[in-house]
Amino acid sequence: MPDKEPLPAEEIRIGVYTCQCGGNISDVVGCARVVKAAGELGNVVVSRTNLSLCSDAGQALIEADIKEKGVNRVVIGACAPSLHEQTFRGTVARAGLNPYFYNHVGIREQASWVHHDNPDGATAKAIRLMAAGVAKARLLEPLEPIRLKAQKHALVIGGGVAGLRAALDIARRGIKVTLIEKSPFLGGHMAQLEQVFPTGDGARDLLKALIQRVVSHANITLYTQAELVGVQGVVGDFTVQICQQSRGISDDRVTAVNVVAPANLPDEFNYGLTTRSVLYQPYPGCYPATPAIDWAHYEDGCLELNGEPLHLQNKPKTFDLAVGAVVVATGFRPYEPPIGEYGYGVLPEVITLPAFIRLLALAGEDERLEFNGRAVKNIAFVHCVGSRQLDGLNEPQPDGQVNDYCSRVCCTATLQATNELHQRYPAINVFDVYEDIRTYGRGHELYYNLASENRVRFLRFHDDELPEVLAAPAGEEHPALVWVTDYLTWGQSLELPVDLVVLAVGMMPNPVDDIIKLLKINAGSDRFLAEVHPKLRPVETAVPGVLLAGTAQGPMNIQESCAAASAAAAKVAVLLGQGYVELEPFVAIVNPALCDGSGECIKECCYEDAISMQPVMVNGTEKVTAVVCAANCAGCGVCVGACPNRAIDLQGWTLKQYEAMVDALAAEDLFALELA
Amino acid sequence: MKNLQVDALVVGGGIAGMQSALDLADQGFHVALVEKEASIGGKMISLSKVFPTLDCCSCITTPKMSAVAHHENITLLTYCEVVALEQNGASYRAQINKKPRYVNEESCTGCRLCEYACPLDLPSAFDMGLGAQRVIRVPFSTAVPQKAVLDIDNCILCGKCENVCPVADCIDFTQTAVTFEIHADAIVLATGFELTPTDAKAEYGGGKLRNVVDALTVERFLAPTGPYGHVLRPSDGKEPESIAYVQCAGSRDISLGVAYCSRICCMYAIKQAMLLSGALPLADITIYYMDIRTFGKGYEQFYQNARAMGIEFVRGKVARIHEDAAQNPVVRVEQIDDGSVVEREHDMVVLSVGMLPSYNPGLIYNVPVAADDGFVAQSAANISPCLTYQPGIFVAGTAAGPMDIVDSIVMAGAAAAETAAYLEERRAVGMAGNGRSPQTTSVKEVSYA
Amino acid sequence: MAVETVKCDFKILILATISGGYAGADSVGQLHTDYPANVYVLPVVCPAMFPEDFYLRTFERGIDAILVMYSGTDCPYKGGAERTAVIINHVYPLMETRGIDTRRLRLAAICTVCTKPFLNEVIQMNHVLQEIGPVRQKRNVPVPV
Repeated sequence: MPDKEPLPAEEIRIGVYTCQCGGNISDVVGCARVVKAAGELGNVVVSRTNLSLCSDAGQALIEADIKEKGVNRVVIGACAPSLHEQTFRGTVARAGLNPYFYNHVGIREQASWVHHDNPDGATAKAIRLMAAGVAKARLLEPLEPIRLKAQKHALVIGGGVAGLRAALDIARRGIKVTLIEKSPFLGGHMAQLEQVFPTGDGARDLLKALIQRVVSHANITLYTQAELVGVQGVVGDFTVQICQQSRGISDDRVTAVNVVAPANLPDEFNYGLTTRSVLYQPYPGCYPATPAIDWAHYEDGCLELNGEPLHLQNKPKTFDLAVGAVVVATGFRPYEPPIGEYGYGVLPEVITLPAFIRLLALAGEDERLEFNGRAVKNIAFVHCVGSRQLDGLNEPQPDGQVNDYCSRVCCTATLQATNELHQRYPAINVFDVYEDIRTYGRGHELYYNLASENRVRFLRFHDDELPEVLAAPAGEEHPALVWVTDYLTWGQSLELPVDLVVLAVGMMPNPVDDIIKLLKINAGSDRFLAEVHPKLRPVETAVPGVLLAGTAQGPMNIQESCAAASAAAAKVAVLLGQGYVELEPFVAIVNPALCDGSGECIKECCYEDAISMQPVMVNGTEKVTAVVCAANCAGCGVCVGACPNRAIDLQGWTLKQYEAMVDALAAEDLFALELA
Repeated sequence: MKNLQVDALVVGGGIAGMQSALDLADQGFHVALVEKEASIGGKMISLSKVFPTLDCCSCITTPKMSAVAHHENITLLTYCEVVALEQNGASYRAQINKKPRYVNEESCTGCRLCEYACPLDLPSAFDMGLGAQRVIRVPFSTAVPQKAVLDIDNCILCGKCENVCPVADCIDFTQTAVTFEIHADAIVLATGFELTPTDAKAEYGGGKLRNVVDALTVERFLAPTGPYGHVLRPSDGKEPESIAYVQCAGSRDISLGVAYCSRICCMYAIKQAMLLSGALPLADITIYYMDIRTFGKGYEQFYQNARAMGIEFVRGKVARIHEDAAQNPVVRVEQIDDGSVVEREHDMVVLSVGMLPSYNPGLIYNVPVAADDGFVAQSAANISPCLTYQPGIFVAGTAAGPMDIVDSIVMAGAAAAETAAYLEERRAVGMAGNGRSPQTTSVKEVSYA
Repeated sequence: MAVETVKCDFKILILATISGGYAGADSVGQLHTDYPANVYVLPVVCPAMFPEDFYLRTFERGIDAILVMYSGTDCPYKGGAERTAVIINHVYPLMETRGIDTRRLRLAAICTVCTKPFLNEVIQMNHVLQEIGPVRQKRNVPVPV
């Protein structure tokens, strides 16, 4: 401490700071009244308000009070603790105080933002919350973060472009990576694309180069057909269980294998436009090149080796890995329209855009585009299928929610498809039925301009007058009709006779409930995985050490997925680069003098080796009491509620602190309580 | 100034540059962050609240500014510009020009007594000319560093600041520019963007019609640190009862040579409209647009909320704006829905101006820009969006084209990852001679069960 | 010290998990949705840490209702949700013997984006308190001006 006269050790000197949050708080809460009231509380030696405490000047103010006014406990009323608790803990530490001599009180999200029409009530509430904060501050103890060894090893879940990119960038920083992919092949949905915007590169060429870098990197171990089945531990030291299915046939035998069963399984790579065999490869040049057995459809006897039936068995093997961080890159799936939406599943001439991209690829050098044995002359693309849905107008998903978000990539992808179509089949008439064209990205607008030059006929609908797709009356030249109320022709109702309807379906996250549960992360109301904050911590989940990459988090194009994956890799490097991680010291602690060794805490604790009974010396005599192992303690506090003697407590969140806060909140007269 | 040896030089102290610098420094790399203005914070620090969370912008930016200033691995150099760059083997030698503040940066305490004593008021650059600023001043209330800077061109050398300054020899009218070198193994360009000039499209009357303003001006109206504390229209200080937004005022407009979409304008217009409805509950707000592009996470929901709040969205391209006798702007618009051409009078019109490249790094860094938009060209736009055509020089944020804050921050993280990997690989092949063994590059097989 | 008197209101204490209810309350704030100002949310790691007597003591101190907003099946801690439910079930009979209406204590699972359920709980509890009145007689509360 810089003070010339050292403070008496027991004197508690509290500084209380009420942030105006640039008006976010002070527009409703009377900050001056909060300052005055807090200033009257016992032990409070400084009470101030500031326009923006988190600014450098605001933080300097607090530092100065600690150094010059002997403030040794700090209470800040500001935004939600999740946003700036760490910021101010750093401030306090810089001033030489134990960083846990600081208590953050949320008076923005929980006062000014929820009591707009009741400024008096909001102010009174803020005062009470601050009084409770001060009550807790009096009982704060100095704490030290728990330092744990960090595994310089990360797990990346998902072998699509985001997972590949994340794995490569982590590995390049000298950290070992295990990359697991659920399917037998790398590349994800990107492998199903052809030319990709905005560069026009071939998707599989880009992937091939990336995969080559990944598989040749010494730090990366790759498992296909592998899934996460178990997770224990905490950031820096997770133990994960991986389960890997058998590939089926080894490289040296695969060429000699003869498939007896017919190749009649729908080929998911081509969205069912083609079929494949039970022993399959999605596309030539895929990685790994070895064909995989589709175990779901495998039947004994369907394969032969040198004329002899081959008997194969899927023998999944499970193994453990110790990793310090996990990157979730589980990707998306295209929206699957319910039967009947825009004729999907009812009219064979209605397909999705991803399937159409495969159709174009499969058409090869053909002179005309055929679908269902009929030459395509007129084609309509419909935007926003499964995106931008409105309650009441669209059929909700099984969870009762509609997809109320924009899927970001479908507009440019659709226009790219129309442009390719025009280039290859200039005679085809293209209708583009849209609500808004969202070619937002760098170079994307050029696809829109080119489509206009290519005479794509744009038709614009309103979200309350959705287009309809119907079967054409028998005998008509074109099998389907698209009805649009078109606001580019001032609301005319138009009927488009077409041979093919392409639905520009949006993105939905891959169903990863199992991974969400295992890692204890959250999904948002749009079902995509949730980040802590889009600007402060855009690739981090609420679980330390678990990061997000790519479309598992929300719709993104390839470029955006790669940027997010690299950003996640940077966070992993920050986390694991030093070889240790620091954890919050919020773990259970035993007061041996009060512990009678009843073991109630151990009975309720669900964490292995977190609490054990051990002999300890108390006041010169040995007795058996509970002892907490900090590294194994999750800090949940279940033991605290179970102890009949209040002998065990949670550091940083003690029962006594809660009782003091309750007293402050309940007190009829705050100040009478103070004097008592 | 002594020469500096660092791992990475980050050019630009806006949100992207700060995030890149922090993500590199947190990994243990030494970073020099060079900012040409007197404070870091970039464009973001002047915004009010940010979409889609409506967080106070300052609450997101200032902690990052503070973290940059306090980070032990970051050397912060404000009021500095890179004026020349030499390739020195596989690393770079940048020549830096530090402009004179006329204030001793080491000894200034940021007490602002000089600012209070200064007798001259100038239009405030930070407040888009709406408020006033002194000739000597701390750039703005949350500036980092909190150090005064003197605008010598407008100074009358009255000496009042010097008289009140509590620190001896802190104010120095004789200070001159100094040059020094930074030696860096890698460079991150985070040089940001510029807004379309308000008067770029003559038909819209920006810069001429008093009540036609650009969107950044409205940010300052709405900001808690803003000049008036109220939303007042410029011509007569009246509270506007009818406000219109003209979208794509500088984007998607071949006549301006800007074919591209600026990505942020739809969302910021909707955000401002929502904030204005809060500040002026009785005002009617209209947004004239071609396409609403609310593509980001949570953005479409934000747009639908704005529609539910009663903000009027009119599909139509504004042809021109003139004003009536009361200086009310009159918007002439072709309404797409019924094809009618109407003229509508508003109290104030906001131009949703777009993003332009602010800096061409071709000359100094030999980094090319794209011919069609003028932003830094990305050599592997899909898979490695931060790579430029110059090895060891990376790009982050809006230097590589329009993007919003969320996307800039993510890209800044990606640029840090690319830069860090580049630095690590150089070390591994012994270029830094630190004894680490090089990576093996043998192709190995995937392990099957 | 100047003191003004405002109408005494009921006080509702919410014990909300940092990973669930507290974040949910913050989400309500981010939506700027108004609710009564008589609600005080304290962040807790997991409410299983509170023994039965903590609740009784809180009512004795004059808190009119307690909403325990735990994370339910989303609880990040093993056994935390189950244990919380067990303790709350122990508290109800203890409340009855002390003449405290058991409707004053409620356990609800609130997630980080459960804004509607959060508001429902707050409104419902206010309705209940309108009906059954304060936990004990109060005088008007002075708040500083």
